[in-house]
Amino acid sequence: MTSRTLGQFYPVSSPVHALDPRAKLLATAVFVVGLFLIDSTVGLLFVAAVLAALVAVSRIPAGTFLRLLRPVMFIVALTVLFQILFAREGVTLFQWGFLEVNSGGLRLGFFLALRILLLVSSAGLLTATTAPVALADGIEDLLSPLKRVWFPAHEVAMMMTIALRFIPTLGEEAEKIKGAQSARGADFSRGGPLRRARSLVPVLVPLTVGAFRRADELADAMESRGYRGGEGRTRYRELRFRKKDALALAVTLLVLLVGILL
Amino acid sequence: MKLELRDIRHVYAPSTPFEVEALRGVSLVVEPGEVLAIIGGTGSGKSTLVQHMNLLLVPTGGEVLVDGVDARSLKQSELRRRVGLVFQFPESALFAPTVEEDVAFAPRQLALSEAEVRERVLESLRALGAGELAARSPFALSGGEKRRAAIAGVLAMRPEVLVLDEPTAGLDPATRENLLALILGLREAGVSVVLVSHDLDEVAEVADKVCALHEGRVRTAGTPAEVFYGDPAQAPATVQVASLLRGSRPEIDNPVRFGETLDALRALQGI
Repeated sequence: MTSRTLGQFYPVSSPVHALDPRAKLLATAVFVVGLFLIDSTVGLLFVAAVLAALVAVSRIPAGTFLRLLRPVMFIVALTVLFQILFAREGVTLFQWGFLEVNSGGLRLGFFLALRILLLVSSAGLLTATTAPVALADGIEDLLSPLKRVWFPAHEVAMMMTIALRFIPTLGEEAEKIKGAQSARGADFSRGGPLRRARSLVPVLVPLTVGAFRRADELADAMESRGYRGGEGRTRYRELRFRKKDALALAVTLLVLLVGILL
Repeated sequence: MKLELRDIRHVYAPSTPFEVEALRGVSLVVEPGEVLAIIGGTGSGKSTLVQHMNLLLVPTGGEVLVDGVDARSLKQSELRRRVGLVFQFPESALFAPTVEEDVAFAPRQLALSEAEVRERVLESLRALGAGELAARSPFALSGGEKRRAAIAGVLAMRPEVLVLDEPTAGLDPATRENLLALILGLREAGVSVVLVSHDLDEVAEVADKVCALHEGRVRTAGTPAEVFYGDPAQAPATVQVASLLRGSRPEIDNPVRFGETLDALRALQGI
């Protein structure tokens, strides 16, 4: 609960939060595909500007949103570095031994970095503005046509909901166990990688035991409340695909089209 | 040792929508060899507070003093050994193949000889009446046995202050008695005990001092009698009726019994 990472729901109310999860899922999917069709930096910058505007509309503070991107910065940095060092295109700007920096490499590095950041940002905006349960409902609904070919859409969505629901619970449990072992003198930051990995055993064993116990209890609790799968099950929260959802999807398509043409 | 908390504040997840101010300036003192009970409703900050006693949680404001010295200046391992903290439901952190191994975890971190470790393990298991569990798997024990094994795991560090967060929650009466006897035995040996509890009977039975928390602040603190009977408006209805009728407030060893209240009411109605 103390640290915020990629994919965490940010509960404020905004026009983006209010959209139908299916619209947001589809828009994100379209967005991701579109990103790979855009081959000009200008196009990417245009799409980035639109995404930034969306983040502003979603009332997620810019600093918080940028912190969501921190986990991927390493990959971005690595990609840029490789492009700069190994792409042999354009004018050579700088040379040192077998290493050379070319204008083409710089351009390509910047382009790829932007693409990765946009990819992650769009997924981040989806999960930050959509409650996990709504997300799972949306996925279930989008997958439901596959029920005809015996794809267990409801079960998959339920599994996702439960998994998402228990991430913070397991996190809290892990914190608690870590605290309990620290109180008994465990030190998780001392020594080399091997020693540190070994020091996690007193945390992982009880965490696993607890997760299985919890799973058993949850299954019993669900059955005792009459759960028997997806057939004929109604929902507390009905999804409604409104005009504004269709509009949002259309605008996304339009923006990407402009990006591709630029 | 004397453990002192001065104006402790704690904010969880600061500057996010999840921000919670759990402690709003709590001060208390644990004198050497006394039993201090901390009571209060759920969410009043009890568990957060006790995790500051060995600096497992670092306060947002305020300081923790060990014998007058700032606890942050002590070596962390030293502080953790001297202030033994037993979490709520400590059995959820059992991990070793045998109870003996599990209890030995803490003393092993102290770089003691194997003989010394073994001695401490058996000593603390015996103190909890769990000596016969040493060779068993902690996962095959009953709830009460697990709880005792887990508490022994902290006791084996021979702490100078033992902090127990709701140690009797969900326990059978026999194990509960066992634990209360342990607390009194430790006090006898000069170890201070901090007991977080919802069970006021248990608090009245073993505590020298009581500290009642409410919404992250100390609401009342003092001897059990002062806290339970100090504020007449806080007393349960039967106690209020009885004190009104008999003209004196109830105290420890002079409690109000239901029959007494009934008799007083009967006398009033002339039945």
